[in-house]
Amino acid sequence: MGLDCEPFKARRAAAGPSIFLEYSAVPEFLEPAGANVYAGGFVSTRVVDDRNPGGLVADQPDVALSAAGDIVPLRFTGQAGEYFRIWIVNICLSIVTLGIYSAWAKVRRKRYFYGNTLLGDSAFEYLADPKAILKGRIVVVAGFAVYSLAGKINPLAGLAMAFVFLGVLPWLIVRASRFNAVNSAHRNVRFDFRAGYREMGQFLILPVVLVPLTLGLLYPYYAYRKRRFFLERAFYGATPFTFTASAGAYYLAYLKAALMFVVFLVGSIVTLGIGALPLYIWFAAYRDGAVARLTWKNTRLGGLRFDCRWTTGGLFKLHFLNSLGVIFSAGLLAPWAAVRAARYQLQRISLQPGAELGAFLTAAQEQVGAIGDEAGDLLGFDFGL
Amino acid sequence: MTPFSARYYDGKTSQRREVLMWAEPPGRLRVSGDGVDFSCQIAEVRPSLRVGNTRRHLQFADGSQCETEDNDAVDRIFAGLPSQAPGRLIHRWESRLGYALLALVLTAAALWAAITYGIPALAKEVASVLPPSIETALGRDALAGLDRMLLAPSELPPARQEKMRALFSNLVSSIEGAGGYRLELRSSKRLGANAFALPSGEVVVTDQLVELAQNDDELVAVLAHEIGHLRERHILRRLLQDSATVLLIAAVTGDLTSIVSLASALPAILLQAKYSRDFEREADEFALDTMKRHGVPAESFGAILLRMDERRGAAADVPDYLSTHPAARERAERSRAAR
Repeated sequence: MGLDCEPFKARRAAAGPSIFLEYSAVPEFLEPAGANVYAGGFVSTRVVDDRNPGGLVADQPDVALSAAGDIVPLRFTGQAGEYFRIWIVNICLSIVTLGIYSAWAKVRRKRYFYGNTLLGDSAFEYLADPKAILKGRIVVVAGFAVYSLAGKINPLAGLAMAFVFLGVLPWLIVRASRFNAVNSAHRNVRFDFRAGYREMGQFLILPVVLVPLTLGLLYPYYAYRKRRFFLERAFYGATPFTFTASAGAYYLAYLKAALMFVVFLVGSIVTLGIGALPLYIWFAAYRDGAVARLTWKNTRLGGLRFDCRWTTGGLFKLHFLNSLGVIFSAGLLAPWAAVRAARYQLQRISLQPGAELGAFLTAAQEQVGAIGDEAGDLLGFDFGL
Repeated sequence: MTPFSARYYDGKTSQRREVLMWAEPPGRLRVSGDGVDFSCQIAEVRPSLRVGNTRRHLQFADGSQCETEDNDAVDRIFAGLPSQAPGRLIHRWESRLGYALLALVLTAAALWAAITYGIPALAKEVASVLPPSIETALGRDALAGLDRMLLAPSELPPARQEKMRALFSNLVSSIEGAGGYRLELRSSKRLGANAFALPSGEVVVTDQLVELAQNDDELVAVLAHEIGHLRERHILRRLLQDSATVLLIAAVTGDLTSIVSLASALPAILLQAKYSRDFEREADEFALDTMKRHGVPAESFGAILLRMDERRGAAADVPDYLSTHPAARERAERSRAAR
């Protein structure tokens, strides 16, 4: 979804056939909707009609959010100092336990960010079981070891493994998205993601085959289709998200971003490279802001609409200071940077409830394993949700 | 106990109700307010872990839930449950700056130990278990690829080539397990005076290096150094160490934001350069040792290294921590000391 935050992405050579999958360590909770949540906006099929709130669900109006049309911003209450302590203990225990604790560390980190994200004074909740994550990680580490060894010993075996990887990719992405969604909740109602492996495979033809074939000219169309694909298969409880943007609007946004990229190139040459980093962050801030605003403003969940007020200047300041802080503190300010990013990005996303936040129904759900999710984590790619 | 405020969610809708909660004997938890009023066994309630000051979620057996910011009250209610003990311990560790700094020191110490001892020792151990056929597979097409891109056939006079082969086979015959190694002579303008070893057992020496050497002792030194790389299985160990480094860095930075992912390439590069220098030193030691056994004066190793360094010029100014080889001056000094 909207917040790819590309200034913070670096391609990872180790990721093998990472044709379009870019590394991103942006916590998923920063991807739309606060809690990783595929919460773009809500549109409902089964949710109650707002003129008849008593019909299907609760008959009590939601006190905090009853007035339709009131703007409800997300709030983020995390503190850099507090998160620093959690972060360093997480790292320490992960190393001392040879990585086993990292599954528990991940759950604590996500619980911290989700739990500090408030919508209408209710916190988001991350519910994944660390043991499921650990199992997923073990499978992925083993798979990755076999893959990289095969490629080094015999290029042909490496190629065969790459094809196997492409074959399981749709399954991996569906499972990862599902695991994340199902383990995210707000007001005791879980999110969900429902997509078939076959339709995911068909969708992947676009980034894997068509975008490279057209030398990237299809990229804005892919960016648009990606958001639509993931949003329209995401649910809050039983209520699906909908997406109203047009491909043309994405082309316009990326065209303007491309002009910014030219500014970055020319500016870098003129300043003999000194201006390259700030200019690049400016370009990325412009692109991320434009795409995020476009995406959020066209996302619906039931009667709920979303708004996003990220500005190029604001994102530039955020990322520029974060980069300087992290680099010059040798990484020790990373928790501070993460909290700053969450605060800026979340607090500038708001909801315009046309429906009541209290009127969403839950859906029956089954358990989902974490293998897909951990593949996403470990191989270092971002499914671009 | 004093009632504390919470929000109740029934788990069927996103409806929110303001309630009060309190513990009441015998071992029950009461939830009351806004159309809700029930009590249940404390043992049947599943409280979420305490993470910082984030709100706690108490899950009831029927799928409903309460959310509260009163962490201390929740801790008091569930104080007796053994399932809560590990979580409480970790929270206590995370709640004081002093303890957190202890974690920082521990992390630094563990990383230092892993980098200096753990990873190299582990790689050496794993390499000793792996069969030599792995290296043959690794380097199978390497020479053919280099021949296409960088190397040309040697232009040395046949007599000189024969002399080089004699020096090489004389060295190899004295070293246990080195029987399969081969010498390959090549010319390369791009590489200049250079020598390197390929995992499949080939030692490649450029004409330019042969011409740079002032006597055969210097050539023996270079050959011994390259045979040292092969004998100590440096390429396989380097592959293993680099993979372990990537995993270690992923483990440390996996918990960071992505800004750091950009910066995390830097420690990986620095570490790989450090390991490379360590291997060079190991090969140097092997070379000096071999030379001693063959009665070749140790300082000829230093002499050719310094001459190669001069030839390379500007590259010599790269600081040690960035370089894949130790500074030539340092290596030359050690070769002098080895006498």
